[in-house]
Amino acid sequence: MSDYLYVGKDIPRTIETDKVTGRAVYIDDLKRPGMLYGKILYSTRAHAGIKHIDTSRAKELPGVRGVLTGYDLPDVRVGFLKDQVILKKDKVRQFRDEVAAVAAISPEIAEEALHLIKVEYEDLPAVFDPTEAMKEDAPLVHEIDAGGRPVRTNILPLPWKFMAGDIEEGRHNSAYIVTDQASTTWVNQCCMGTSGCIAEFDDNNNLTLYNQTNVIFGGKQRITEYLSGIGLGGKKVRIINPIVGGSFGTKLDTDIYEFICIQLALKTRKPVKIHFTREEEFRALPPRQPARFTIEQGCDKEGRLTFRKVEAILDNGAYTSWGVTTPSIMMNPVSSLYRVPNVSFKATCVYTNNIYCQAMRGYGNPQATFAVETSMDSLAEKAGLDPAEFRLINRNQPGDVTPMRFKITSCGMEECIKSVRDKLDWKEKRGKRNGRGVGMASLIHVAGGARVYKSDGHGMMIKVDEAGIVDVFESGTDQGQGSPTVISQMVAEALGVRPEDINLTFGDTALALWDAGTHASRHTFMAGNAAILACEKVKKQILEMAAEQMPKLIKGGFKRKKRRDPDFEEPDLDYALISDPANLDIRDRKIFPKNEPKHPYFTMEVSQVLRAGLHVGTGKSKVVVGEAFYDPPTEMLDREFKGNFSCTYAFGTTGVEVEVDKETGEVKILKLIAAHDVGKAINPTLLMGQIYGAAYTGVGYGLSEEIKLKNGRVMNGNFRDYKMLTARDIIPVEPVVVEPGDDDGPFGAKGVGEPGLVPTAPAIANAVYDAIGIRIRDLPITPEKVLAALKGEDPVC
Amino acid sequence: MKKISLSFTLNGDAVTAEVPVTWNLLKTLRETFELTGAKEGCGVGECGACTVLVDGDAVNACLFPIPEIAGKSVTTIEGLAAGDGTLHPLQKSFLENNGVQCGFCTSGMLMSAKALLDQNPDPTEEEIRTGIAGNFCRCTGYVQIVEAVQTAAKVEK
Amino acid sequence: MIDYDYLTPRSLKEVLSLLKEYGPRATLIAGGTDVMVKIRNTRKAPEVLISLRGLQDLRYIRKNGGYHIGALTTHRMIEQSQLVMEELPALHDGASEVGSVQIRNVATLGGNICNAAPSADTSGPLLALDATVVLEGPEGRRTVPVMDFFTGTYMTVRKPEEVLIEFEISEDMGNFGSAYWKHSRRKAMELPLLGVAVALKLSEDKKEILDAKIALTVAAPTPVRATLAEDFLKGKPMTDEIFKEAGRIASSPDCCTPRTSLRCEAWYREDMIRVLVPRMAAKAAERAGKSRQRRGR
Repeated sequence: MSDYLYVGKDIPRTIETDKVTGRAVYIDDLKRPGMLYGKILYSTRAHAGIKHIDTSRAKELPGVRGVLTGYDLPDVRVGFLKDQVILKKDKVRQFRDEVAAVAAISPEIAEEALHLIKVEYEDLPAVFDPTEAMKEDAPLVHEIDAGGRPVRTNILPLPWKFMAGDIEEGRHNSAYIVTDQASTTWVNQCCMGTSGCIAEFDDNNNLTLYNQTNVIFGGKQRITEYLSGIGLGGKKVRIINPIVGGSFGTKLDTDIYEFICIQLALKTRKPVKIHFTREEEFRALPPRQPARFTIEQGCDKEGRLTFRKVEAILDNGAYTSWGVTTPSIMMNPVSSLYRVPNVSFKATCVYTNNIYCQAMRGYGNPQATFAVETSMDSLAEKAGLDPAEFRLINRNQPGDVTPMRFKITSCGMEECIKSVRDKLDWKEKRGKRNGRGVGMASLIHVAGGARVYKSDGHGMMIKVDEAGIVDVFESGTDQGQGSPTVISQMVAEALGVRPEDINLTFGDTALALWDAGTHASRHTFMAGNAAILACEKVKKQILEMAAEQMPKLIKGGFKRKKRRDPDFEEPDLDYALISDPANLDIRDRKIFPKNEPKHPYFTMEVSQVLRAGLHVGTGKSKVVVGEAFYDPPTEMLDREFKGNFSCTYAFGTTGVEVEVDKETGEVKILKLIAAHDVGKAINPTLLMGQIYGAAYTGVGYGLSEEIKLKNGRVMNGNFRDYKMLTARDIIPVEPVVVEPGDDDGPFGAKGVGEPGLVPTAPAIANAVYDAIGIRIRDLPITPEKVLAALKGEDPVC
Repeated sequence: MKKISLSFTLNGDAVTAEVPVTWNLLKTLRETFELTGAKEGCGVGECGACTVLVDGDAVNACLFPIPEIAGKSVTTIEGLAAGDGTLHPLQKSFLENNGVQCGFCTSGMLMSAKALLDQNPDPTEEEIRTGIAGNFCRCTGYVQIVEAVQTAAKVEK
Repeated sequence: MIDYDYLTPRSLKEVLSLLKEYGPRATLIAGGTDVMVKIRNTRKAPEVLISLRGLQDLRYIRKNGGYHIGALTTHRMIEQSQLVMEELPALHDGASEVGSVQIRNVATLGGNICNAAPSADTSGPLLALDATVVLEGPEGRRTVPVMDFFTGTYMTVRKPEEVLIEFEISEDMGNFGSAYWKHSRRKAMELPLLGVAVALKLSEDKKEILDAKIALTVAAPTPVRATLAEDFLKGKPMTDEIFKEAGRIASSPDCCTPRTSLRCEAWYREDMIRVLVPRMAAKAAERAGKSRQRRGR
């Protein structure tokens, strides 16, 4: 256990050296022979009927090879609720609606062609606020649904309702009750590598799509379905990832531009690349889902939570992607963050003419935790309790079963809260109201897979060749979090080889079994468990081969020695030690007998055994290959949204010390403690990287980032006006790694990719309240909001 | 489209490029020389992903008009390692200290760091952060990048 | 499709001759950080770009009598100039905060001022340092105080056939302490929401304000001097209350007209003027004290 060679060690990312030499190939860098460049014409209206699209001049531009509009394509609907066609032809419902597409021999010519396309619009009344859009007389964003049935409301027919226990009883048992508001807005994922893909059909119309999706098999399925819908049923689809420049949720769904790219490739019979400019990435990429919450919570005289009731209104935008499914994850903190017996949650999703949303790191958890954790502080205050103490009273504990029926196994929440409290000098610093304050917030997140689909499986195939090189065919994808290194460590540990012996393939559907997706912070957990199972099989084969070959090889060696040196005395050895595979093991590339690991003659390199096992010469040669498909022992959420849909859960607490400049409203972070229960850190340095990165994004979410939409139009679509933090915006992050282990995690590890972000914004909000006595309930907490509130002017508080 | 012929030094080699006058240095590097390390992250000098060195100074290649490159010396990420492939201390340090995650910002980040250390071999943390402030990173939160530069600075001394 | 001719003259004489030849068909380009972005974003380019980059003899920072800074001096050169840091610190503050190292390495002081964005970081300092702009044209040389140089947002008195060649700052400004604050949400890659530059000349005993200059940017269509606040400060003792009152005056409609834009609301800009003028005045006073010490007075 504790004498791991690789797990728990800071193995550097040498496997990714290409990224520091400029050799790594991103979608930007990838070229296919004869490739054309595709560009998309976006709507210039928020809500309008399309009277006419004239592409004649664009088609005539030299260098243009294909122009498409909705009139050229069959009406196949895509999206979560199948509510959009890829090129709109009857009407546009948002500024970033795709109206036409061009493929040309250069991106400049394609761009020029777009400007030659004339679209005649007829403006329709638009609606930009979900509360307005819910009204009976609101303009309808959609007139019919996917089935062609008429739609009479902008409210989406989605079942986001959760109930456990009895809210009335909870109220009845409460000594203190608070009702609070909280709201979050659109933020951009800001991947440094923008969206893009290359679609290429072979001459039998089988498709290869070079794209950046994290969900290669889900994507393949959606695209196969789409091809079927456009008359290419039965054709094969292969998805290949290049190196990906960040994902943060942007690459879970199949985006409209991907379907457009496929259609352009089909039309032109050439590979086509569509690649977003940064402007497009800000204006056309679906961002994080905004939400408005009303939350009511209560506790008894002893400070134990009695109930929690949350209602959310989600501005869905014009179409559906993963944004509209975030309520299913919002239910997680609402029902299961801290012990709370009676819970209800309702989310109303409303169509508007704003930009629609997809996933972003945390997937609804950051939004809901902001509501829950700021309200927890206000409840603590009402009850006269210290917020840290209040959280400890209600902390999740191992063995708990939450209202959502999550089975809490490993749980380091207590240690996380306490370490944050201690490192922040909580007792000394709290309650001064002198411009400096401390605040904290915790999180619960899935960390052992997430059964959002019927299969939460993850496959891995491993082959070991005669040189001792281990090829691992991984079903997940890599967005930069360090999976190649971490998985190499786990395979090396499980198999007994070195990380540098391992060759990994990621992100290629033709070279992988199946995986539900590199999402929900599940990659390390799933790949690790698959690796352990696959390595078991592979090791068994190696050791069986060793039991057969080692005695022969050793005896053969002695014979050769005797021939060269007649005086050589063959030692009298007990070959029984190495004749039974159950008695053999592998460590650091060497096979040895378990009973006598230091035996002077019975150690052999894995490669030597494999060579002997392959080059047998009698028709009995063998290769070594094994696979595993790990599907964790979890359940889907039932109709009531209850079920243990992850194998284990991550916990953590973020604590912040802030200083508020009362004259400018600026909030400065003096200290940020990020305590995370990760089960076991497979690679501590890489783990830190996840925590630092997520913390910074969380601070941006809390203080500075927001997409400014005005009447549906993105107004700050560039890095100058969208306030992602720079290297000079120093946030002193101190990670605390809590390792309670985990019985289900590979080597005890749990997921951590998203948790790092989740509690940051509420911790800041709570600290600001401690500093100046004002609760800002609307993210981001900008200097204007703080200053207005200090002057007593802001209605948001 | 008028073309121009330019001679300059690229990663130590004397080169000539014949490109449209309207091209910038980034497009020239990526298309004419197939040096795709420098990336277009924004195209308007707001992200740093295209950072290269011109006469030792870090510049945004996306804003550098190609006619101005005549006679100058350009260093890109591909020219950072030694001729025999030995990694520069910065490259090694970025790998060892996890200063690289998705890697998209890395080419630009490394060139900014190199320009910094060439001019200021013993920088304070504040000076490092100022030196790389023109390079956005979404993955790392900058912490391990700063650590990587500090480690490389020590090694180079 | 974007197309233009790019000319690289080697002398000022050549530049003037090209400007005469092409007239309105040409645009001058220095560092390129404004012009290249504008071309990309608007998808429009002039017929000809005339580059000033070849005019290497216009890159200098000198002190002989007054201070002389060549128009082609980059922000990075100013950032790294000991002379500017010690004797014209507001300009050092402003130049050091522009964009990023990559931008500062190529962007020029002349280009920044000629572009005349209301948010330029060097315009406030130059205004507070009472700088003069030197223009060269077919009719010869003329000087214009920076105060009179800007006529509106992105508009200056420079005639199309003229080239800005130098900034002059009087020797006496070296006796002032000065400071510039760029108020922005982040510490890099930003345009200011509001800029405040203050230059103060103190009495021998450092207790009285002899002279004051306050420049505000993003507070009006052009950078402005808050002359009423300056007049208030002259002859007054150096106290927090005096500074606060100066801030109040500077933020009043008598001195500025901040507006609401996408980036910021008017009321916040107004508040920040009120808050930041006293802060920069204090910093300028502190530096005024130091600089006199350095010169051994």
